[in-house]
Amino acid sequence: MATHSIRTRDKDSLAVFLGWFSVGLGTAQLLAPKALCKVVGASGEGTSRTLMRLMGARELTQGIGILTRPRPTNWLWARVAGDGLDLSLLGVVAARNRTKRTAFAIANVLAVTAPDVFESLHLSRKQGEPREGMRVRKAVTINRGREEVERAWANAQELRERVLEADATVSFEEAPGDRGTELAVEFTEQPPAGDLGKTALKLSGRDFATQLADDLRRFKQLVETGEVVRSDSTPDGHLLAGHLKQRPAQPLEEVVR
Amino acid sequence: MRALCWNGVNKVEVENVPDPTILNDRDAIVQISSTAICGSDLHLVDGYVPTMKKGDVLGHEFMGEVVEVGKGVSNLEVGDRVVVPFPIACGACNACERQLFSLCENSNPNARLAEKLFGHPTAGIFGYSHLTGGFAGGQSEFARVPFADVGPIVIENGFSDEQVLFLSDIFPTGYMGAEMCDIQGGEVIAIWGAGPVGQFAAASARMLGAERVILIDRFEYRLAIAEQHTGAETLNYEEVDSVPEALKELTGGRGPDACIDAVGMESHFHGPLYAYDRMKQAARMETDRPYALREAIMSCRNGGIVSVVGVYGGFVDKFPMGALMNRGISIRTGQCHVQRYLRPLFERIENGEIDPSFVVTHRLPLDDAPKGYELFKNKEDDCLKVVLTP
Repeated sequence: MATHSIRTRDKDSLAVFLGWFSVGLGTAQLLAPKALCKVVGASGEGTSRTLMRLMGARELTQGIGILTRPRPTNWLWARVAGDGLDLSLLGVVAARNRTKRTAFAIANVLAVTAPDVFESLHLSRKQGEPREGMRVRKAVTINRGREEVERAWANAQELRERVLEADATVSFEEAPGDRGTELAVEFTEQPPAGDLGKTALKLSGRDFATQLADDLRRFKQLVETGEVVRSDSTPDGHLLAGHLKQRPAQPLEEVVR
Repeated sequence: MRALCWNGVNKVEVENVPDPTILNDRDAIVQISSTAICGSDLHLVDGYVPTMKKGDVLGHEFMGEVVEVGKGVSNLEVGDRVVVPFPIACGACNACERQLFSLCENSNPNARLAEKLFGHPTAGIFGYSHLTGGFAGGQSEFARVPFADVGPIVIENGFSDEQVLFLSDIFPTGYMGAEMCDIQGGEVIAIWGAGPVGQFAAASARMLGAERVILIDRFEYRLAIAEQHTGAETLNYEEVDSVPEALKELTGGRGPDACIDAVGMESHFHGPLYAYDRMKQAARMETDRPYALREAIMSCRNGGIVSVVGVYGGFVDKFPMGALMNRGISIRTGQCHVQRYLRPLFERIENGEIDPSFVVTHRLPLDDAPKGYELFKNKEDDCLKVVLTP
């Protein structure tokens, strides 16, 4: 099953990575400020603890901003500014008490400042309306002539309706070398709350791309073999969501056909 | 019914489980008369294949009598005596049409799992992890056989179970290993592993016209069986310093024309590299120990073929890519496309060219299957192949 995503948006994988990095670090700072103070060589009491929490809230906000916005240029620059703030705070800690831990923390902040600046400059060069979403293409080859596949598709009413609802386009093409028919479905993936929503849907197996991949596989099985193949561990046939909670591979007690 | 279940690493037990039923129209139910333990079952038991689940019924080499057929099966009748191939294949997809049955595009309901690990999914296999579909296996009293109109071969004349049972896997697997060597007549073929697959690869290489076959192992009893039944010469690797050097000297400095790896991911070797691979494997930093494969590549003559039928599951380390590329060696491999070989190999049995039952050393009732696994795994009591009777 081919999944081909064409990036039609401004944000690239580095920006997404930095967004998740912010979310992770910010959450840790908010929930375990004392431990993180220790990591960077600060006292972990009073002001430094409060400051750690504040910085955590800042990180988390930036992360969510980066992940949810289609072109988060300002949020990336906010990360650069945040790096500066972190470095000055660590400088204060180092001035009071020189430890290897603080030096290590400074080195780490410097290491992440470089991609922050790089990505901020990259996004700053983008012009015009920010572009959102990904163009996703799912394709499957069915070992039957084009007419037969088109006829079967016309009969697969439920699947056709779902594809229509998602505003997807369907194409049929003869596969090279007499290998049947390539059925391709293309749609624009635009989940609520940007990359945050996308990840949530993916994890629950409820994103359209995953469901479509399952549907196309089952459609191919039906056209080629006349049935959706069932096994003891996966009695309902192919479904990615079902993969996560499989039965053992031994015959079923109760069979629902 | 009684069935052998995987209950964790190195833990197999015979338990009562529900009887199988028809789930798809093209299914049949087979009452099993004989079933065998395969070397690749050991990889599952040892915990080197991911996606096993407690309670999985093992076994993919089995035969028996058809006791029920789905309404989509017209070529089999209740009462037929059949041998069932281990890969499940639909017979209708592009792969099946090109006779690549173990790559069937439709028979694995867990295709997405396999796709994640392997890039593209492979066919369903009986009792062989959830990666290959999560089908209950055949080390049991009954088995459900999907696409029964494509896979099973009906055995009509009076051959014993042990003469035809190995058509289900190891005979065709060994044969395909030899076939992939492109034997034209007059070749020297070296084979790593004198287990059942290696034995059949040796016998098949001779049948296909190889002039010399050299079988490599460390267990004398296995080498003795090979000398007696397959027409192979043998090499005990514990008696030489270096297998590639020994093979070079045995072949006038050229190296074997083709090498067959019938060992796979749990190869054994004496030396520091063995310790290195064991450690990395235990730490899950490499999934497979490819010692035989490394030797096969280093031994093979320039421009020769390395044929891999031993099973690998994931990633290998220290793979001699430089030797492979610069010396123009081809690798050929695959899970056996058993359906392709059933009839031609059954004909060879009918013609008396081979009697596959020579590999059988132990016959046990199904209830003693855990003991069979012990014997086979530890090579106790000169064990080469265990056949179980439900």
